[in-house]
Amino acid sequence: MTETLFEKIWNSHVVVERENEPSLIYIDRHLIHEVTSPQAFDGLRVNNRKVRRPDLTVATIDHNVPTTDRSLPMIDETSSTQIKTLEQNCQDFGIKLFGINDPNQGIVHVIGPQLGITLPGSTIVCGDSHTSTQGAFGAFAFGIGTSEVEHTLATQTLWLEKPKTFEIIATGKRKNSFAVTSKDIILSIIKQIGTDGGTGHVLEYHGDAISDLSMEQRMTICNMSIEAGSRAGLIAPDEKTFDYLNNRKFTPKNYDELVDDWKNNLMSDANSKFDKSFTIDVEKIEPQVSWGTNPAMVSDVTSKVPTPEEFGHNNEIQIESAKKALSYMDLKPDTAIVDIPIDRVFIGSCTNARLEDLKDAAEIVKGKTVNSAVSAMVVPGSQMVKLQAEELGLDKIFKDANFEWRESGCSMCLGMNPDILKPGERCASTSNRNFEGRQGSGGRTHLVSPVMAAASAIAGHFVDVREWC
Amino acid sequence: MIGDVIKYEQDNIDTDVIIPGTYLKIHDYNELATHAMEGLDPDFPSKVKDGDFIVAGKNFGCGSSREHAPIALSTCGIKAVIAVSFARIFYRNSVDGAFLLPIEVDEETYKKISNSDKLEINIENNEIKNITKNETYAMKPFSEIIAQIISAGGLFKYKK
Repeated sequence: MTETLFEKIWNSHVVVERENEPSLIYIDRHLIHEVTSPQAFDGLRVNNRKVRRPDLTVATIDHNVPTTDRSLPMIDETSSTQIKTLEQNCQDFGIKLFGINDPNQGIVHVIGPQLGITLPGSTIVCGDSHTSTQGAFGAFAFGIGTSEVEHTLATQTLWLEKPKTFEIIATGKRKNSFAVTSKDIILSIIKQIGTDGGTGHVLEYHGDAISDLSMEQRMTICNMSIEAGSRAGLIAPDEKTFDYLNNRKFTPKNYDELVDDWKNNLMSDANSKFDKSFTIDVEKIEPQVSWGTNPAMVSDVTSKVPTPEEFGHNNEIQIESAKKALSYMDLKPDTAIVDIPIDRVFIGSCTNARLEDLKDAAEIVKGKTVNSAVSAMVVPGSQMVKLQAEELGLDKIFKDANFEWRESGCSMCLGMNPDILKPGERCASTSNRNFEGRQGSGGRTHLVSPVMAAASAIAGHFVDVREWC
Repeated sequence: MIGDVIKYEQDNIDTDVIIPGTYLKIHDYNELATHAMEGLDPDFPSKVKDGDFIVAGKNFGCGSSREHAPIALSTCGIKAVIAVSFARIFYRNSVDGAFLLPIEVDEETYKKISNSDKLEINIENNEIKNITKNETYAMKPFSEIIAQIISAGGLFKYKK
C-alpha cells in the first residue's frame, strides 16, 4: 500500500489508535513562548503534575520583547510580567530557555530550524499557529492551543483527529527568481484555494518549483500554510534540507545515520493518494500585494484593486466582505496597485526575517534612501540572524538608507510590543496576516515579499520590483 | 441549551478581531473578556448576556492559535458559536477547554437565523430550534472524537 509523507510520519508516531476515536500521537519536540504557556503551567501546578520531558521542550521569548535597546528596563509592565512568568516557569520545571539576553533568542519558528531542533520526520508542536513553518524540513509541525500545550507538557502526547492530505504541485520556473519570491508563490496559492481551502488538511508541496527553493524560502511557504486554513504544511526533505541542518547546535550526534534513514523513507510514495490536489504554474506568477483584510485578498502588482463584484463573483457574502475590507483599507476599486502610497515598512516576522530575506532586501536598498514620507524598520527573526547580517554589513546598508535596525522578535507582525501602526497608517509588511487591527488598531497592512517591501520603502508606494533588479 | 443570537453576517472572523494581540498579555479571564470582539464590535461586552450564541459565516476563528479567543467569548457568557465552518485550531481550543460549543450549520440555516432570535440547541439529536421563528434546523453532528471530548468536559477529563 502506498503512503504519503504525512501518513508515514503520522503512523510512526501513533501511540494508540482505535476506530472512531482520536489517535494518541507522540510529540518529539515542544517549543514554548511567553504568550500561550502561562495558563498551561498554572494547570500543571494546580494538578500537581510535572513536565514529562523537559529535555524535549525548549522555550524562548519573542512576542512581547522590545526590539529597542534591551539594556534598558521594559516600559510595559504586563509584558514584563509575562516574560518573568515564563522565566520562572522554565526554572521551576527545568526547561531550557533562550531568554531575552541570550544570543540564541529569536522568533520561535526561526530558532527551531536554526538550532537544529527541527528534524525531518519528527512531530513538533508549539502554542502558535505559525509552527507550520517547520514543515519545510519534512516534519509534521503544527500550532496548538494552551490546553494542548498543557497536555503536551504533562504527557508528551496529544489526542488528534487524523488530518486529510492535500498536495500542492508547483511546476515551472519563476521568470525572475529574485523579484518573484516564495512569498509570492504562497500568496498566489492562498488567493486561489482561499483562506479555508486547506481546512482539516495537511498541505504537501512538491514539484520542480519547490525543489528549486532554498530552505529559507521553503519555510516562507510552509509558514503561511495556516493562512489557507490547513493544519500544517509539509515539504519532503532533500539534500538542501540535510545540508541546512548539519552542524547546528542541537544536531544529533548520529546525524549521518539519520540522514541515510530519512533518504530512504521520508517521501510520499509514487502514486500515493491525496484527498485533494491543486497545481500551480509559477512561471505565471507576478510579485503580489494584498489589498484587503485577509491573505486571499491579493493582487498582481501590475493590476488594480478589484471591485467587490470582481472579487466576490456572485457570492453576496464575499462581495460584502470585499466592500468592508476596501472601506477599512481606505482603497477605491480600480486603483492601480503601484499608485498606493505607504507610510510604514516592516521587514520582519517568522514569515520573512531570515538571513536570505534580509540579504535580498539589502540588495534593493543598497545606495538608496527611504522615501521621506516613509518610516521603515528591519527586525531580524533572531539574534543570530541579526549577528550574521551584521557580519555581512547589512545593518550598515539599511541604516545608511534610513531604515531602523532593531533587535529580534515578533514585533510589528502582531502588535504586542510597542512596535505598532497608528490608526490609519498604511504599511508594506513582510508578515503573514493583514487582518483588521493586526499591526495596531486601525492600522492597514499590505502583505508583500522582502524585496517588494524594500523597493516600496524607497519609492514611497508599491512598485513592480522586477524592474529594480 | 436556550439563548439569544448575536449575528455577524461575515466570513473569516479572525482571532485578531475576537481578541486583539495587545491583550494577550492579560492573565485574568474577566479582564480579557472586557476586550472580546473589540476589533469587530467594540459594544459586544456591554450587549452580550450569559447564555447568548454567536452566529457567523465561514472560517470562524481563523488565524492565531490563541486560546484567549474562545476564553474571552466564553467568559462573556457565550455558550456556542454557530457558523458555516470553523478554523480548526479555534474549533479544538473551544472543545479542549470546554469553553463553548462550536456548531456547524449549512449556509441556508445560517441565512435563516436572524440577530436576536431565540434558539434552543439540542446536541443529543443534532437539532437547533428557532423559538422566535418556530423553525427547526439540522446542525452538523460532531465527529465521534469531538463528541467524546465534549461529553467528557474537555481534554483533561477525556481518557483520564
